[in-house]
Amino acid sequence: MNDRLVIREFLQGLLNRKDDRAVFSDSDQLITSGRLQSIDTLEVVVFLEEKYGIDFSEVGFDQSKLDSIDSMMALIEQK
Amino acid sequence: MSNSARFRLVPQLETYPWLVSFGQTAPGKAALLGAFAGGLFVNRVNYWLEISLIAAVMSYLPTWRRLLTSVAALYWLIFHHTWLNGPFLSALAKAEGLRTDGWNLKVLFSGILAAVFCALAVFFHYARTRRSSFAAKRPVLLLVASYAAVLAAAGLIPLHGMTRLLAWGVVAMTAPYLWYFAYALKDASSKSSDGAILQFGTLQPFWGGTNVPYPKGAANLRTIEARNPMDLCITQLKAIKLLIWVVILRVPSIALQVFVHGEPRQTERFLGILRSIGLTGWNVPNMGVPSLDIALHHAAVLPVPAAWVSVITHFAEVLIGMTMSGNLIIGCCRMAGFYALRNTYRPLEARTVAEFWNRYYYYFKELLVEFFFFPFFTRYFKQYRRFRLFAATMAAATMGNMLYHFLRDYEYVAQMGFWQAVKGFQVYAFYTTVLGLGIGISQLRSQGRERSEGDARWWRRACATAGVLLFFCLLEIFDEEGRAFRLGEYLRFFLRLFLIPV
Repeated sequence: MNDRLVIREFLQGLLNRKDDRAVFSDSDQLITSGRLQSIDTLEVVVFLEEKYGIDFSEVGFDQSKLDSIDSMMALIEQK
Repeated sequence: MSNSARFRLVPQLETYPWLVSFGQTAPGKAALLGAFAGGLFVNRVNYWLEISLIAAVMSYLPTWRRLLTSVAALYWLIFHHTWLNGPFLSALAKAEGLRTDGWNLKVLFSGILAAVFCALAVFFHYARTRRSSFAAKRPVLLLVASYAAVLAAAGLIPLHGMTRLLAWGVVAMTAPYLWYFAYALKDASSKSSDGAILQFGTLQPFWGGTNVPYPKGAANLRTIEARNPMDLCITQLKAIKLLIWVVILRVPSIALQVFVHGEPRQTERFLGILRSIGLTGWNVPNMGVPSLDIALHHAAVLPVPAAWVSVITHFAEVLIGMTMSGNLIIGCCRMAGFYALRNTYRPLEARTVAEFWNRYYYYFKELLVEFFFFPFFTRYFKQYRRFRLFAATMAAATMGNMLYHFLRDYEYVAQMGFWQAVKGFQVYAFYTTVLGLGIGISQLRSQGRERSEGDARWWRRACATAGVLLFFCLLEIFDEEGRAFRLGEYLRFFLRLFLIPV
């Protein structure tokens, strides 16, 4: 499975827990729009740390970098 | 039941296609602006006309929206700078035997403010151009540490005369901007960051705010700005909905004042409304329960049921007040064309302590998350997954919360001296400690729960909500930012609620 699909599946899981089953595109901003909250963001952080080895103390933490599949892909590619 | 089928007190105006189409026409825009101005007027917002005029200009000149936000911020700074604590500095100057009449002080305070802005502009430019430097990597840490150092120095070093006034002038002029500066500096490290002129529009913007920025600086504004006429119309319809909510919430707010506390001014206003509709000679009964502030300091003579009523109504008033003020600010921000999230969003639907905190005061929670939680979470205890979450929560909800309030309320340091101000902070320190523990435990309990929230039975959900509300209702007793009373007095009141004599 490619990285985009892995991230999509993970995010869909977070949204499902909140009974949010609406579709979202790769560029949809899930945090800015309020669909994901801070508690979800930290699960995204742990996911990216564990799955892709991203060290946020190095790259600097910025919620906008975790806002959409596109921005997360940019973070992974930048690593 | 789907959301769209649910009964709504305020209809979802933005879902009516004809209204969205009409709102994009010239008369439609005028109608929306008229409704907005009316909403502000009814809600007794100061400067309602100026806010409406600015929103009107922004509606008709959307491509200049960000620049107009900066122009409006400058206008507000010059003419309506209610956040600058002039009376505090004037009193200080008087106490130091300095001249307080004429333009001397105004020129001095303006000079200090200009110096503070210049210093920030230099810092912002440095962080933006030297991205690998420590100042660019940890700008907020440097900013807050610098401000705290000046505050501590002003409180600890025996200064006199003009030196003392200058030191406190820097503190007083920086304090209301501190976290606005923090968001601007954080944005400086972003590749798409705005320049200094656009950043200025986010520093105490014309739509209002407290020391907590609503919304979260320029980076947030860039992502929530209306992109086309339809976006703008939907955003403005949502703004008007928020103002309608404020009108609706006035009813329980006034009812509590009149029927529970018997507050004379509100009661007279209520009787005036009755008289205006021909109902003369009425007498309004009330429970005669004092506000929490009075109840706390007269606990020994107050019957326990009255104390409970006082605690519960205080919590309801805080919740309603927070919703109303947040809706007004976000309503104005949305009318300007920025679709900011609400500050308070259905807090009574929260089923965990952490969820309530998120729904109750969103922008303060975001500030703590942004500047305390995540910096801690991404740096420390990475190998201990659950402890890491708990420690970061304590760093934000307890330490960050305490630091925010201590730095904000600098007047206590000036009046009481640094160490007395620290000592007097015990009640709020207790509050933030219990809050941090509550949120931390709540988050740990929520982690790993894979089951959908909708799966729980209704009575389980109701019990969970009741438990959360009771926790915050009782905790609100200790949400005291003043320094006059000791923790023991609050604990005695709390224990008396459960018939435990102390």
